[in-house]
Amino acid sequence: MLTMKNVSKVFKTDNIQTHALRDFSLTVNEGDFVSVTGPSGSGKTTFLNIAGLLETFSSGDFLLDDISIQQLNDRQRSKIRNEKIGFIFQSFNLIPDLNLFDNVDVPLRYRGFNAKERKQRIEHNLDMVGLASRMKHLPSQLSGGQQQRVAIARALATDPRFLLADEPTGNLDTQMAQSVMSLLEDINKQGTTIVMVTHDNDLANRASRKIQIKDGRVSELDVVVANSQAIA
Amino acid sequence: MFFYYLRLARISIVKHWGLSLLMIVAIGLGIGASMTTVTVNYLMSANPIPHKSSQLYNVQLDSWDINEPYNDDGTPPEQLTYRDGTNLLNANKAFRHSLQAQANGVIEPEGKDSLPFMVSARANTADFFTMFDLPFIYGGGWDSAADLNKQQVVVINSETNQRVFGGENSVGRDLKINGNYFKVVGVIDYWDPKPRFYDISTGAFNDAEEIFVPFAMIAEEKIGRSGNTNCWKTPEGEGFEGFLNSECVWLQFWVELPNQQDKEDYLSFLNAYVEEQKAFGRFERPLNNKLLNVMQWLEQQQVVEDDAIMMMAMSLMFLIVCLLNTVGLLLAKSLGKAPEIGLRQALGASRRTLFAQYIIESACIGIAGGILGLCFAWLGLQGIGALYGDMLKGLTSLDTNMVASAIALAIVSSILAGLYPTWRACNVQPSQQLKSQ
Repeated sequence: MLTMKNVSKVFKTDNIQTHALRDFSLTVNEGDFVSVTGPSGSGKTTFLNIAGLLETFSSGDFLLDDISIQQLNDRQRSKIRNEKIGFIFQSFNLIPDLNLFDNVDVPLRYRGFNAKERKQRIEHNLDMVGLASRMKHLPSQLSGGQQQRVAIARALATDPRFLLADEPTGNLDTQMAQSVMSLLEDINKQGTTIVMVTHDNDLANRASRKIQIKDGRVSELDVVVANSQAIA
Repeated sequence: MFFYYLRLARISIVKHWGLSLLMIVAIGLGIGASMTTVTVNYLMSANPIPHKSSQLYNVQLDSWDINEPYNDDGTPPEQLTYRDGTNLLNANKAFRHSLQAQANGVIEPEGKDSLPFMVSARANTADFFTMFDLPFIYGGGWDSAADLNKQQVVVINSETNQRVFGGENSVGRDLKINGNYFKVVGVIDYWDPKPRFYDISTGAFNDAEEIFVPFAMIAEEKIGRSGNTNCWKTPEGEGFEGFLNSECVWLQFWVELPNQQDKEDYLSFLNAYVEEQKAFGRFERPLNNKLLNVMQWLEQQQVVEDDAIMMMAMSLMFLIVCLLNTVGLLLAKSLGKAPEIGLRQALGASRRTLFAQYIIESACIGIAGGILGLCFAWLGLQGIGALYGDMLKGLTSLDTNMVASAIALAIVSSILAGLYPTWRACNVQPSQQLKSQ
């Protein structure tokens, strides 16, 4: 599903070149739940951004569903992001001016669904995360855990096959984090491929695959192929 | 998506009302100032008789002093002498022609309680009414026989008709002007071309006259002559007769020439006339006759004055300053919206889609700014009206063209102001935008 081969990313300033990823190679298969760990600055988020087509890379090959990403223009990349990928961010990234309904509506608008279809999907996904009754609330009226649930509902609204989560529990307390993690596990069981960046080893161990990144390279691949239920 | 973008624009404008208000006021001030001056210039330079302005020609003959030109730029006098005016009239070489001068009179209405009042008058020949398309409510103009026979007839405007005859059909009734009785032959509806192209010697933006009498009434001294008179030498004869035979210019002569050939023929006639007059010791200056149509005439006479153009240029520069201010404010706003822009890209919005969304928001701000600008422009025009009084009467009102132009200018301006900030915001990688969350 996702194949990166010798992908490098170099950030250049006037005099300094920073290698965020070096010859990074990884394959993620359909249905995987991959956790990505590593120290700060190791390149986890850069990897996730490249995987999510939010950032370009300097060299190497990156195939998503056998499509070579390097050749795509902005419009094609946007279309893939909208149709194939869902994002969950550490800081939720809900639009503060829009209520929950309108926040979940955003990717559906870009997908071009009609009003009826959009409403159905919004209600279904908010219901799935237990917030159907609060769809007219603004994000500021919700707790952190609830906001992350809305972000998950938004990420799933377009039925993506690939969910990218960047520290999805980083801003949540333990109880909330467990709740969000359980939700992600359920989503994975339903067939959605998940790649999750985390600092939390306990959560990382709940994934079906675990990789570690260090200095922009995969330092340990498939450290754990766990029975997530047993670890939990 | 258009209505979705409109909704997002409304939400954004309301949410960031402080910044939005600053932008709307900035655009409004720029539009208000520029539309005030543009309106005055637009009305000043408007074509007062668009359907036939290219067929109506003002006649200029250079009868001036050989030692000193009439104008430094070499243009001949804008008026004619009585002798030349009547000669050209009698030659009858144009399709239509009108010899005319500004005049005034005192009307003495009938009735014990009615007081005499002064009116502005025009002494003109018969074709004046058909050449300049005066709209009649009752009757019509007089014919050339009335000019020849020096008939005491008059055409009055509707206001005078209302004042003297209570608005009734007054055709055939007598009107006492300067102690002489004139028979009313026509009543015209509102007619007030701006600029008053047919006689700009006493102000291009003065009101049209209230009554019209045959030109011969001036020579007959049945009506008082007024308007501008310029002489380069002292009249040789005595009294009014001497003035009429002098080299003083004070008459306007217009001809209607339906096509280019007619124009060329008439210019040849004018040249021949001047050559003929040279034999009598007149027209010592080189041949310098002009035959300018309405718009050429207004341009030559610089009806739109340089300081009005300068004022307009300055106000347009002020608009640019306001727009630059708006660019700065939009940049500040787009910086604040960076995370949202990145997020929308992550959720599937292309740069083009985002560009459309934020340009529509800019256009909405522009529309609001345009409406505010129209209010400012209206206030500005009222201020100019109050400052200059009757001098610019009729030039201080917004017409539909100007309203539409103001809104269009505001939208275009705001879109232009929004282009750079929007382009800048949409061209950062989404990951960079999301980092700023």
